[in-house]
Amino acid sequence: MLIINHLTKHYKGSSKGVTDLSLHVMPGDICAFIGHNGAGKTTTLKCIAGIHGYDAGELRIGGISLHDDPLACKQMTAYIPDNPDLYEYLTGIQYLNFIADIFKVPAGERKERIQRYGDEFEITESFGDLISSYSHGMKQKLAIISALLHEPRLLVLDEPFVGLDPKASVILKDRMRKLCDGGGAIFFSTHVLEVAEKLCNKVAMIKDGRLIAEGPMEEVVKQGNTLESIFMEVVNDVGAD
Amino acid sequence: MMLAQIRIMARLELCNLLGINVLRFTKDKRKKKRAVMLSVLWVLLIIMLLFYVGGLSWGLVEIGAGEDVPAYVIAISSMLIFVFGILKAGSIIFRKQGYDMVVSLPVRKGAVVLGRFLRMYTENLLMAALVLLPGIAVYAWQTRPDVSFYLCAFLGIWSVPLLPMTGAVLIGALVTGISSRMRHKSLAASTLTIVFVFAIMYGSSSLTSMEGMESLEIMEELSGMVSDMLGRFYPPAVLLGTAIVNGEIGRCLMYTGLFLSVSAVAAAVVSACFQSISRNLYTTAARHDYQMGDLKADTALISLCRKEFRRYFSSSIYVSNTIIGPLMGCVLSGALLFTGPERVKELLPVPVDLAVIAPFLLAGTFCMMTTAATSVSMEGKEWWLVKSLPLTARVVLDAKILMNLILMLPFYLVSEVFLILALKPGLQDSFWMMVIPAVILLFACVYGIAVNLHFPVLDWENEVSVVKQSASAVLGGMGGAVLALLGGVGACLVPKGYSGGYRAVLCVLLLGTAGLMYRKNNRIDLREL
Repeated sequence: MLIINHLTKHYKGSSKGVTDLSLHVMPGDICAFIGHNGAGKTTTLKCIAGIHGYDAGELRIGGISLHDDPLACKQMTAYIPDNPDLYEYLTGIQYLNFIADIFKVPAGERKERIQRYGDEFEITESFGDLISSYSHGMKQKLAIISALLHEPRLLVLDEPFVGLDPKASVILKDRMRKLCDGGGAIFFSTHVLEVAEKLCNKVAMIKDGRLIAEGPMEEVVKQGNTLESIFMEVVNDVGAD
Repeated sequence: MMLAQIRIMARLELCNLLGINVLRFTKDKRKKKRAVMLSVLWVLLIIMLLFYVGGLSWGLVEIGAGEDVPAYVIAISSMLIFVFGILKAGSIIFRKQGYDMVVSLPVRKGAVVLGRFLRMYTENLLMAALVLLPGIAVYAWQTRPDVSFYLCAFLGIWSVPLLPMTGAVLIGALVTGISSRMRHKSLAASTLTIVFVFAIMYGSSSLTSMEGMESLEIMEELSGMVSDMLGRFYPPAVLLGTAIVNGEIGRCLMYTGLFLSVSAVAAAVVSACFQSISRNLYTTAARHDYQMGDLKADTALISLCRKEFRRYFSSSIYVSNTIIGPLMGCVLSGALLFTGPERVKELLPVPVDLAVIAPFLLAGTFCMMTTAATSVSMEGKEWWLVKSLPLTARVVLDAKILMNLILMLPFYLVSEVFLILALKPGLQDSFWMMVIPAVILLFACVYGIAVNLHFPVLDWENEVSVVKQSASAVLGGMGGAVLALLGGVGACLVPKGYSGGYRAVLCVLLLGTAGLMYRKNNRIDLREL
């Protein structure tokens, strides 16, 4: 579903970025992307979402090159940033309707989906209010609903659990599993390693813009270890080299 | 204690004045390159302003009104500071960004307000200096005054921004205070600001009008009248100007003290209501009573265009800075209808038929500040959304142009009806009367987008920095107005027999250039912004 081959992206005038990163996320995968602050997680996710260009390498979503046909790739992807800066001058329903228009979701289906997800996340009653009146968690819920609205095949999430209440976190995890059961794929960054370990079947670790470990969760986290201990071990090993 | 707090808050406000701090520490070479280009443009504009004010001052000296030059330049700079100040004061003093952080600090409200006052004062001081210095230099060159004149002039430059800025802040606070209590805060603030600006323009034009005087008489009597006119228009300009001309240091000090006292009282008043106004302003009513109804599907273009309209009307500073031009176009066309073209011809002796020049003037008012020129920058921190959605650059930019054109449509139609009824032009002139403003407006929108794509400001903290201070606002927003002015001058110079041909060639050229720019705009990779 998502193929990253030798992705390199550096910011002008800065040594920060991503170097020669290769990674495959298959249909049905939930892949956690972990690394310390400034390691290059958000840069990678923004490249996949088509927000940033990249210097070298290849990104393919659903078999289509992001470089050759970005619109087709974006049509099957949904991205949620770590801090959802949404259009604060719109109401929740106006925002969702806008997103549905862009992704060409038919009127009947969008109503049914908005109602369903809104009720699940207990935010339907606030859809008539301006987004500027929403709390961080409510904005996060709205961003999640807007991401699910067009039934994407690939979900790209940056710290999706930050700001969510416990119930919403459970619902999101459930939605993520359902999406993957239906043949979709999820690639998300997180600092909550316990969640990653329980939820994901794959993990990728990044340090200073380079991928330092990657693979199925059960292979990376060997018996008797935790993802946290493996992460610390790998990060320190690479740091010592 | 209070002084230390004021110093800290002022340093916070001033450290990134004109984006200096970001430029100092950014590692983005592209940003630095843009800043250099922008600085060159600003220098050119400043040189033009210096020559313009210097020329005006020279003209006053030539007609024997040299003694009025300081008062004249004080009045001009005060008017600029006052009008532009009204349009931005509320947004600067009651800025939302950082409000929660600032009020949570152990800092007095007065220090916060004074910090913002000082920021406005510094900006206005720069503007005052740019207008005053050439006038004072011309006067000094002509009259060779003694050293006391220079001391007074130096003092005067520091004191000139105080009164108009204070007036603007008080009106800005009043507008913000009233609108903060209303449901549609932004719309109320825009309406009140526009009403104030038009009232001031009307008031100042009545005070400076020379009823019953023909243009020749005016020229002959001008030297004596300038002083009277300035006295009626803005008495402090005459008082301070006279004190500067006479080198009366004591008087200059007294006026400076007086102006400072007025500003201090105003700052105290604004400080007293700062928190209550801010609280009302930033408390958004949430009803939590939405019930799902039917939803309508639209095309991406229509949906984006609707979003652009909502963005536009959500910002009072965006509305008030861009709607004044077209409103003025309607008012002037209406005035022409009611006063009749003969009266206008007496006041404005142009060498061509009014029907030829009118469409250019109308286009000039419509393009004084196009929304398209700042529409990309106005996306701000939400720009990531557009970039992540399956949208082409073309449809995103089309929506911004479409919004600008639809917004102008009612003003265009009303003004055209007024103009055609007032001037009763023939078939050919009627055609050009309708086509020329439309073509120039279309060109201005495409040009505005092109400039904004070259000079995007997406990491802004305050809308003022986009709508009033960005390169796009200055170069892009006014591009159409300058073009209309040049087109109008051309129309005056072209012999009558070639008038139709001139207008046709101009329209074809503009449409062709707009077409080329449009294609280039649409080829941009939005990720690169």
